[in-house]
Amino acid sequence: MRGGARILRELVRRKGALLSLAFLAVLVLLAVFAVALGFDPVKQNILHSLEAPSRAYWFGTDELGRDILSRVVYGARTSLMTAGGAVVLAGVIGVPMGLVAGFFGGWRDAVLMRAVDVLLALPAILFALALIAVFGRSQGAAMLAVGITGIPGFARIVRAQVLSLRQRDFVVAVEAFGGSSGYSMFRTILPNSWNQILVQVVVLCSIAILLEAALAFLGVGVPPPTPSWGEMLRTGKSYLHEAPYYAILPGLALTLTILSFDTIGRSLTAILENEDAAVTRAEGVAS
Amino acid sequence: MTAYVLRRLAQLVPVLFIASIGIFAMIYAVPGGPVGIMLGENANQAEIDALVHDLGLDRPIAIQYFDWLGSAVTGDFGVSLHSREPVIKLIGERLPATLQLAAVATLIAVLLGIPVALASALHPGSWLDRMLSGWSALALGVPTFWLGILLILLFAVELRWLPSASRYVPLWEDPLEALRHLIMPAATLGVYVSGVLARFLRASLVSQLGADYVRTARSKGLSRGRIVRVHVMRNALLPFITVIGLMMATFIGGAVVTEAVFTYPGLGRMLIQAISTRDYPLIQGCIIVMLVIYVAINLTVDVLYAYVDPRIEYS
Amino acid sequence: MSDPASGIVAEGAAEPLLSVRGLTVGFAGRGGVVPAVRGIDFDVMANEVLCIVGESGSGKSVTALALNGLLPATARMSGTIRLGQTRIDTAGEEALRAVRGREIGMIFQDPATTLNPLMVVGEQVTEGEVVRGDLARTDAPARAVELLEEVEIADAAGRAGQYPHQFSGGMRQRAVIAMAMAGRPRLIVADEPTTALDVTVQAQVLALLARRQAETGAAVILITHDLGVVAEVADRVAVMYAGRIVEIGPVDAIFANPRHPYTAALLQSIPRVDAADRRLDTIPGQPPLPGAFPSGCAFHPRCALGSARPRCAADDPALHPVGGTAAACHFAEETAPPRLPADPRQSREIAGATEAPLLSIENLEVHFPIRKGLLKRTVGHVRAVDGVSLVVRAGETVSIVGESGCGKTTTARAVMGLVKATAGTIEFEGDDITHKSSAALRAVRQRMQYVFQDPFSALNPVKPVEEIVAEPLRIHGLYDEVGGKQRIAELFDLVGLSKTMFGRYPREFSGGQKQRIGIARALGLAPRLLVLDEPVAALDVSIQAQILNLLEDLQNELGLAYLFIAHNLSVVRHISDRVAVMYLGRIVEESVKDDLYEGALHPYTQSLLSAAPVPDPTRRADRRRIVLAGEIPNPAAPPPGCSFHPRCGRASAVCSRDDPRKARFGDTRTLVACHHAGPLGEPVGQVAAGGVR
Repeated sequence: MRGGARILRELVRRKGALLSLAFLAVLVLLAVFAVALGFDPVKQNILHSLEAPSRAYWFGTDELGRDILSRVVYGARTSLMTAGGAVVLAGVIGVPMGLVAGFFGGWRDAVLMRAVDVLLALPAILFALALIAVFGRSQGAAMLAVGITGIPGFARIVRAQVLSLRQRDFVVAVEAFGGSSGYSMFRTILPNSWNQILVQVVVLCSIAILLEAALAFLGVGVPPPTPSWGEMLRTGKSYLHEAPYYAILPGLALTLTILSFDTIGRSLTAILENEDAAVTRAEGVAS
Repeated sequence: MTAYVLRRLAQLVPVLFIASIGIFAMIYAVPGGPVGIMLGENANQAEIDALVHDLGLDRPIAIQYFDWLGSAVTGDFGVSLHSREPVIKLIGERLPATLQLAAVATLIAVLLGIPVALASALHPGSWLDRMLSGWSALALGVPTFWLGILLILLFAVELRWLPSASRYVPLWEDPLEALRHLIMPAATLGVYVSGVLARFLRASLVSQLGADYVRTARSKGLSRGRIVRVHVMRNALLPFITVIGLMMATFIGGAVVTEAVFTYPGLGRMLIQAISTRDYPLIQGCIIVMLVIYVAINLTVDVLYAYVDPRIEYS
Repeated sequence: MSDPASGIVAEGAAEPLLSVRGLTVGFAGRGGVVPAVRGIDFDVMANEVLCIVGESGSGKSVTALALNGLLPATARMSGTIRLGQTRIDTAGEEALRAVRGREIGMIFQDPATTLNPLMVVGEQVTEGEVVRGDLARTDAPARAVELLEEVEIADAAGRAGQYPHQFSGGMRQRAVIAMAMAGRPRLIVADEPTTALDVTVQAQVLALLARRQAETGAAVILITHDLGVVAEVADRVAVMYAGRIVEIGPVDAIFANPRHPYTAALLQSIPRVDAADRRLDTIPGQPPLPGAFPSGCAFHPRCALGSARPRCAADDPALHPVGGTAAACHFAEETAPPRLPADPRQSREIAGATEAPLLSIENLEVHFPIRKGLLKRTVGHVRAVDGVSLVVRAGETVSIVGESGCGKTTTARAVMGLVKATAGTIEFEGDDITHKSSAALRAVRQRMQYVFQDPFSALNPVKPVEEIVAEPLRIHGLYDEVGGKQRIAELFDLVGLSKTMFGRYPREFSGGQKQRIGIARALGLAPRLLVLDEPVAALDVSIQAQILNLLEDLQNELGLAYLFIAHNLSVVRHISDRVAVMYLGRIVEESVKDDLYEGALHPYTQSLLSAAPVPDPTRRADRRRIVLAGEIPNPAAPPPGCSFHPRCGRASAVCSRDDPRKARFGDTRTLVACHHAGPLGEPVGQVAAGGVR
């Protein structure tokens, strides 16, 4: 992708974004190599239940004597996988929807956008709750629920992008040379939309992680014994007197992850806006 | 104007229609269907047949739907499977609690969000702006359920100032006691929404402050204060109205979670309980009520927008 | 005045109203301060019009903002600005507010954005006076009506209560003028006040500005890039280049005997609405942008005099008096006097009427439906093109000229099949292409190509330029057949670009270079007809000349036919063989170029030509200007009969009833659609809606 390297360079120049990238990198590495690093989220040790953080248990232990750090690491796995799957699902459905609706307009636009309106008629969490009420509680249901609520975001952003690009002369030019609709859509408009889609992916990651955790916290997300941050908060809340760290530390991991995605998303938006502004300035100067 | 409102209402019809089909179909999509839900898995065939006939499930599905829709429109969502009470009555008991929470949270969000947005937009790039933008990021990024837990830890567990589980006390009956129970959930929710509010309003203000008409206003010799008050605020708040719809979505979602954190007896908590007890009529009722509130607010906002912006012609 | 730069001051002048000395402005950025204005001096006398003229990046607009203390926070300014006894450069916000509006009125470029969209116009016009306490709040509404009447806004009482979006562009600019004049300021600073307006509206606004200036005795500083406007209104002229004033002096001297090579070259590079055929002299390269100003004299890399002289590259010359002006050039004495260039434009024999036309448009109509209401019913049509007939023969240039909204671009796009024709036929090479499917059009599109107005938006930003030029060839599967990379290199060469630029992206190119890339792309398929939609409108004057010359060369070399769409009458006269004038979706007059420009028969053409500014101050006195009343009507509801009649000085009862047909006028070569067609002269006795000034 053109400009990908440049955008990354701009990104690491910003302190907040660099820190966020570093944190996410560590988190992903931990999640991927969790087994190799010897984290065990299920080993119980009743003798050591609800122990405060110590040299042996950096994050302490839970009510069954399980190592909270291990559970946080595996929770990252659950969280990232559920959110990642949801974002992919939302993108695979939402991007083509927006592309077709924006490019062809007319009845296709009307039908697709009404579908989006229906998805938006309910706040995301209600929609997810309704879906889970139907499909029962599973990691797949959580992923599906979070993913479907992400579709409108992609569809709307891509559609808006297509509508604005369609007015641009370089898209009209393709038609003037005799390029087909497919060529216009996939070879001209889509490559000019990747940046916007990328921003949406990052933004949706933070929303998806939050939503997944919220569902687990409400007791309807990824079911136990799979470790998940939301579920840990839910249980930890019952032991606030005995073991405050139980609810604090997984929540901290969750918060930092969300903040990291949010920071990167905002930095990306700012970088792309600056680029646009630079182009506009150049155009303004010449007129 | 009336025509515009009618047009917006007409646009809602297909959306609400499809949504209602979805909500109606929920109960049929569940394994075992409505009968399985009501009788459990160990029912015998005679019981099933009787119930099917009693409920009219042997009629065409379209008839069943319109029957259900007709009842729902008049507020009859059926009877809770759990408590055997009419759903509408249960909702009626819980709704005031949620509305009270929402009202106080809105107040906190507005009192917090607008000054933050103004202060940072008037000094873009300054340390104050960076600090306040960081604050909005935190307000948005810290999950409400974690913030709620931290508040409980501090104010209920450590300091013992406030109750860790909140009851619903109407504000007009005992304001002080009501606030004791309301302040933590309302603050949790309000801080979150203030983040949404501050971020959008700041962006709106910054873009308006850079608009050409601001330069024109300065060239007329107007003071900065007047330019912001008279010219910028109106223009910045206008697009912001459209964001209120988005805010409402986070609000309702946030309310469901917040009520769970503080075991606050609102609509959201009842919905979660209904899901865990698979009380489908109650689930349907809660979702429909929330949907109607959400849609009504969005509609009001749209109409308000058209009313305030002279550029929109609603002829 | 002991000032070294005597030309800065008007001759025989008393105390200046405004005095600027050593003004520098830079903008703080990542890599330090980028200079935009680099030490300029000038004075403005009461009742005087000073024009500051320059191309993009010259610092003219920054200068305008500095005069009123309106520079953005990132600006770093030094030098002195004195308005009467008031120091503006050191004034605090409080003191500046007292100056703004009351002492200095500002008029900005884009009337679409300079007014607050949510406040009624009347309130905005009087707001300054009310806030300063010069006007009681209760008197404001009456004052607003008075001010709007002064700028000739019809139904001022009704208009005062309307919002800006209910005003047309010209009316908005009138309102802005009313606002700037409300406090009776002693100085008006107008930054490109007519650039966003059509030529007939520009004429109205300039006339209004001149009248109000005469009535109030205010001084005016007018910032512009348009030398025609300068010649029309200026008393004195300051020419800016790369943040410096390179020449300043009385308008007659500047135009008759410019002493700075840049001024001289600029005057040589503009096509003129009144001039004979000649090839334009160009200035090589492009104007430098802030941050990339050359050393020494910033103009030296582009200068015919100084490009080889070490002194020019080393020392930045100061303004000093030379002849009738003051110029900043080491070798000002050597600047050649202006002349009609020796190199005449190659005149071509226009193909006879016998030859079969390449493109033939017959009664073309393009109507866009207006949909409203719940069911999106069609409630009316915008008649963008409403019965256009035109013929283009091989190798000739036919121009369509008209103001915005007249349908010229829609006509061009309909020819390319980019918008659907509602009625009529379009034949290309004798083949009816009006209703061809896009697949069938593909073959046609090899021989008919489009060049876009805005070079910034016409090139795909994510592709390298080599790919952009190759794209049409690839789409048609001809890339390898015509020679691949070799062919692309040839195309680059043809438009004066180097193939070393292949891997670069559009953002790395200047406007003129981008337009060359756009032309190269259009030439790839070896077309016979190029449809050029305002190809130079977005370019600086010196770059415009380069592109116009390139188009001429390409036509001679490749035998191309051009359908040239433009609003600039001078450019059209320069490039065309035949010209068609469009108004509200119709061609009102069409003729051989010189016949049209020398002897226009349609009243609209005549007013259009009279409104076009001529860059020659000596012609100011003897020019008859027909200032049209009103603005172009809404194409969704054109007036009945002849659509021009409400603005026409010759209109009679028949005009509001019968739509005139386009017909040959006498034994001329002109086709005209008017009941009262005829040369501009004595018969134009009765003046109805318009007026002759």
